[in-house]
Amino acid sequence: MNVTDSHARATEAFSAYVEGDLGPAERAYVDEHLSTCLQCRVALERFRRTVGRLGTLKRSAPGTFLEKVQAQINRRSRGRFFGKRHLLFGRIPFEWLSLAMIVAMLVYYIVVLQSSPTGVVPGR
Amino acid sequence: MSLGERLLLSRLVKRDEEAFNEIVRSYGDRVYNLVLRLVGSPAEAEDIAQEVFVTVFKSIESYRGEAKLSTWILRIAANHSKNRIKYLARRRTGGQELRDGSDATDVADEGKAPVQAHFDAPDVMLEAAEIERIMQAAIAELEEEQRLLVVLRDVEELSYDEIVEITGLPEGTVKSRLHRARMALKDLLEGKLK
Repeated sequence: MNVTDSHARATEAFSAYVEGDLGPAERAYVDEHLSTCLQCRVALERFRRTVGRLGTLKRSAPGTFLEKVQAQINRRSRGRFFGKRHLLFGRIPFEWLSLAMIVAMLVYYIVVLQSSPTGVVPGR
Repeated sequence: MSLGERLLLSRLVKRDEEAFNEIVRSYGDRVYNLVLRLVGSPAEAEDIAQEVFVTVFKSIESYRGEAKLSTWILRIAANHSKNRIKYLARRRTGGQELRDGSDATDVADEGKAPVQAHFDAPDVMLEAAEIERIMQAAIAELEEEQRLLVVLRDVEELSYDEIVEITGLPEGTVKSRLHRARMALKDLLEGKLK
């Protein structure tokens, strides 16, 4: 293998080398090449630094991000979601209102209609 | 899928607003950062990231649980970003604004240093902002797919399994293209950073 091929084989393995993803034989080859090649050692150092710096590129979303997403959904759902909250209940509790309505109708049926279906009280 | 994730998902399907808030709080920063690194402009990134969560809210039923929820959300973010990049490239003459790194300059000129530098001395913050500007400009020079791979692996630090799920590429292809992208970045940054 000539020198150019040797450089190419080593640099081609840089990613796997820095991630510890090389098999023992290939790793030994790269180590051997690096021990004698200053050019590739410098290139590997620059490669490591580049990859390492990418990990520092972190940015948080703006502070008002959640509110803006909620406003978008509210607008697109025509107010169905993320609308203004009612002060006492957080939102209108439709499920509890319907349950209360069913119970009230049941009580009305038992007390008023079931106890005297014809409205006539039987004589003693 | 963990039990907690399954419970959260069932609340999301019922359009539980608090569950959705949890999702935005948990993944908002990652989605925003991913999109920012792909498109380069903070204003565009915020807009796209909002769209991502609107899509999550609208189409949570289509999440089948094969991938992690975070991976599914990041895939939506990557797709929205790609579409926006194409749209902006069509709208602007030859797409120069994104590719020449001028939008990347916005990232550092916004007046905010990277997160890790928030409590550092002013000169350190300035240096961090300058490094960020140079790095972002170099990322903007990469081809779209290379940019995505570099951001997913080296900025967001995802596993190869997650990247395969997001991109739909085989692992070997991801690794070889990522390597080419890293080498290209190394060359682009030559002489620009200490």
